[in-house]
Amino acid sequence: MHKPILPLAWRLFVEDARTVNHRVLQATQTLLMVFIVTLTLTSESVQQHLEHNMANLLGADAVVTHNGALSKDEFAYLEQTSSAVIYTQSLKTTLTHDNKWQRVSLKAVDESYPLQGQVQISDSQSEAAYSAEFAPAPGDIWLDSRLAAGLAIAVGDTLTISDIPLTVTHIVHHEPDRLMEGHNVDMRALVHRQDFSLLEFADDTIQYRYLLNADKQQIDQLLTWQQQQLLSAEFRHRQGAHPLALFWQRTENFMGLASVILLFMAAIAIYQISRIQIRREQHFSAVCMSVGASRLEGLKVSVYKWLLHIVALFPIVLGIATLCHWVIIDWLSATLNNLTWQPSFIQPGFAFGVCALLLAVFQLPVWLSLKQASVKQLVINFPHPQRAIVSLGSGIAVLLVVTAIYSDNGLLTAMVLGSMAACVALIALVSWLSLTLGEKLTQRYSGLIPFATFMMRQRIVSKSTQIMGVGLCAFLLLFTLMLLRDLGNTMEKYQRQNDGNLFVSQADSSQMQAVEAWALNQGGEVRQQKRFMYAKLIRVNEQSLDEFATRPSESLATFKRSIRMHWTDVIPSNNRLMNGQWWTTEPQGQQNWKQISVEQEVMTDIGLAIGDQLTFMVDEQAVDFMIVASHAYKPGAGSITFWVQMPSTAVRFLTAPHYFMASIETTEDSVNTLGELWQQHPTLRMVSMREMMARFDNTLSLVTQIISGFAVMIMCLASIVIVSSVLAFDRQERRKNSVIMSFGLPKRTCLHINLIEWAMTGGIAACGAMFGTWFAGILMYQSQFSLPYSPDFIWLSGTLLVFMAIVVIIGHVASRNSLRSSIRELLAE
Amino acid sequence: MSSHSHSQIELHQIGQSFVTHQHNVHLFADLSFSIKQGQSYAITGPSGSGKSSLLMLASGLEQPTAGKVVYSNQGHTQPLSQIRSEIGFIFQQFHLLPEFDALNNVALPLKLRGDKQALTIAKQWLEKVGLGHRLKHKPAELSGGEQQRVAIARALVFNPKFIFADEPTGNLDAHSAGDIADLLFDCCREKGAGLVLVTHSDFLAQQAQHQLRLNAGKCEWLNAQQGVADTARHGNQRHA
Repeated sequence: MHKPILPLAWRLFVEDARTVNHRVLQATQTLLMVFIVTLTLTSESVQQHLEHNMANLLGADAVVTHNGALSKDEFAYLEQTSSAVIYTQSLKTTLTHDNKWQRVSLKAVDESYPLQGQVQISDSQSEAAYSAEFAPAPGDIWLDSRLAAGLAIAVGDTLTISDIPLTVTHIVHHEPDRLMEGHNVDMRALVHRQDFSLLEFADDTIQYRYLLNADKQQIDQLLTWQQQQLLSAEFRHRQGAHPLALFWQRTENFMGLASVILLFMAAIAIYQISRIQIRREQHFSAVCMSVGASRLEGLKVSVYKWLLHIVALFPIVLGIATLCHWVIIDWLSATLNNLTWQPSFIQPGFAFGVCALLLAVFQLPVWLSLKQASVKQLVINFPHPQRAIVSLGSGIAVLLVVTAIYSDNGLLTAMVLGSMAACVALIALVSWLSLTLGEKLTQRYSGLIPFATFMMRQRIVSKSTQIMGVGLCAFLLLFTLMLLRDLGNTMEKYQRQNDGNLFVSQADSSQMQAVEAWALNQGGEVRQQKRFMYAKLIRVNEQSLDEFATRPSESLATFKRSIRMHWTDVIPSNNRLMNGQWWTTEPQGQQNWKQISVEQEVMTDIGLAIGDQLTFMVDEQAVDFMIVASHAYKPGAGSITFWVQMPSTAVRFLTAPHYFMASIETTEDSVNTLGELWQQHPTLRMVSMREMMARFDNTLSLVTQIISGFAVMIMCLASIVIVSSVLAFDRQERRKNSVIMSFGLPKRTCLHINLIEWAMTGGIAACGAMFGTWFAGILMYQSQFSLPYSPDFIWLSGTLLVFMAIVVIIGHVASRNSLRSSIRELLAE
Repeated sequence: MSSHSHSQIELHQIGQSFVTHQHNVHLFADLSFSIKQGQSYAITGPSGSGKSSLLMLASGLEQPTAGKVVYSNQGHTQPLSQIRSEIGFIFQQFHLLPEFDALNNVALPLKLRGDKQALTIAKQWLEKVGLGHRLKHKPAELSGGEQQRVAIARALVFNPKFIFADEPTGNLDAHSAGDIADLLFDCCREKGAGLVLVTHSDFLAQQAQHQLRLNAGKCEWLNAQQGVADTARHGNQRHA
């Protein structure tokens, strides 16, 4: 049975491969598969790197991290449950030298450090590194080479921190417990614990890391203990997840969202082409049946042929994906040290298989349609409306599955899909309204425009598919371009307007007073000033955070650390109430202070609801709060906003230290004198606009590269969708053109009608795209990027005009085939 | 009709051949005759004899490999392409646009020409071909005979000088074919249009004023109405 079918399938495959339809389909499938396989390959490389990193850079079998020192009992338990334990202290501070300053992560160790592995140091910047047999002695400080260069300081020089002089004795190249702090780009410095204590930093601002030597049983014991007794601590061990694992998973999920968008566009193109496929395959099957073959044999030929197409795609996809993988790894290696490219075949093979399964679902309507193939069809060609339903159903099913798997930020996903749905709905409405009204208004008139309107109205269902395909492409492209443009322009403008040029992210009372005095001296002003205390979320509705929220998100990642909790009795002027009820200023009774408002986006990300109970660890005190309201950021009244806010009366019952966040406007010259302030208050966390913009520029350049790459993918797919839309209707268009010419009208008339139709298609699609973009901007700019959305309609209209012109040109060029039609073809049928 | 009596399509010593699979196939050669407006012509012959090719040459859809085809009116000749807008077609497969109802299919040529009375005239034509009660029906809701009536109305609604029909009754039963033939000839006669049709049907061919039979590269004129055969040899010019 298989023997005669396979050669037949091969023959048809060869014939198919020569058709334009098939080439467009292949281009769509290749693009989609290359994207997914590249993502898989990159993911595999990064995960392998992280695993290797974890095994080699933990510097211990297990590490307990806690803000502030553990109690004596807790430390005693660590000693009992391990074969050795040491600890390090670290905090973020600013080091100054000769009017230069650098933000650093300062680590304090003693002679017992390191527990495992070795510290690599050198005696000067230019010399080779060697393994240190000792830790920094009291009075010494070791700097990493970037920090030494940044402060223009050399080995032998003296660095003063809070009036304590320290001598730079070595350049540090590698710390064996680097993993725990290495996933940020902070510069690093090591001092002896004795000097660190002289600096008198507040204990709760210091991060303690307890490095332990422990076997598996002890690790399990410690893990259980931490989850029951020490929820405010973080516990990592050799067999556990890398600290970057969650970050990478979120990155993957974000790329997954991009995949959903690309898949959506590919689905439109594949859906258009499947309409042609269904007709051809049904006809082939019907002819086979007319010569005695069974329906099953027709189906087998179709399936084998599809498999041959997929097999043919494999080397192409693998080749391009490998190249892309190499480029991305090279790019990522700047961020993830020692990440190297290695060829892989199993993972891409698996990813290709999954993609093939997805494509098989798209192909399902074609195969299902073969069930309806019959010889009768060769006599009378009757339509099957259920084909469209099956095609749409399969497309939506694939999208839902991919969205469900990849959805990271639920709100963002919902917003993207919601905007797309709004765009589709508007396009459907505008198509129907404009064509129906257009037809009604012009039915008394004759000429090409009324005729084209009339033609489009008569074919509204098929035309709508075409318009929606083009419209969605326009929307996605426009939104991507707008985001790219506005991220640079609006953010910079907005930040400068509202936040002054200095931003204090953490200052205690004495530091804040010093900052205010400094600002006054420099002729500047403190624009905003808000108090907060640190709190760590440990339980939600009596469940640990890990048990409650299993899906990774930006919010969850932040909640794993201590967050800033603000207190206020009125809704801040830069917030608006989203749900629930804000507390009144007259608290009655002790329990009334245990209520909080949480930012709406955070609620959605974590899956919180009004009425949920959140347990926060505030200065070793576990406090249950009930969510009574949710709020959202409102631009225009300063950018300092908090995720979690509580009544001001709560402060009476909580003993945690108070801190300030503030923004200061001062002259650019005075920023250069900040060194004095940091010299006196090294733990003051403050960043100048200049530095912030430099950091922002780095981020922006990264975002620009990602979005540009994504925009190129979208543009390719947009072109494919337009071409597939043309191909899907090529047969009808050719017939229409031939019929028009059979009335004695010249080809020029067909060309004009064609151009009018494409202009109308582009116009309606553009309206939908513009609305969708505006809607997406309103939804996402504020909540996802904390940016006020002020759409530039002139820019949008200009971009859309360009897009429409491109649509008309691509549509016209792609329709040339149908314009080559002639009455001969009608005679020949 | 009298005003059109000198309007005609002239075929001068035309020949048609083509190469397929490295073989040169000669359909016919050195054929000359005129198609007069207001007269009817039937081209008959076995399959592959070149009937459809001759129709395409005569209507200007294809260029002959030898000779020329021109339009002549009161002694003035001009290329056939100049009167493309005066030529209509009727097909065996009807080729009505499936999205349009009967009324709009017929109104189509007029709408494209900017005629404000398109729908009114189309309605009159549909009534004329006996489909006044089917105005809002789409092609899929009409029988083969009804579809061809719509196609005839559509071909004649813009008053072309010539109609070329390829097997117009080829898809119809004998009864419907008879009705369609009557309708086609009557309408062309009434509108003074020249009618050229290709057919396998002797019955249909006999209704034409002139019959040209193609067979194995030879052309033979038959006076269908009088039943007298007249052979058109190569180089002869037949003025019907």
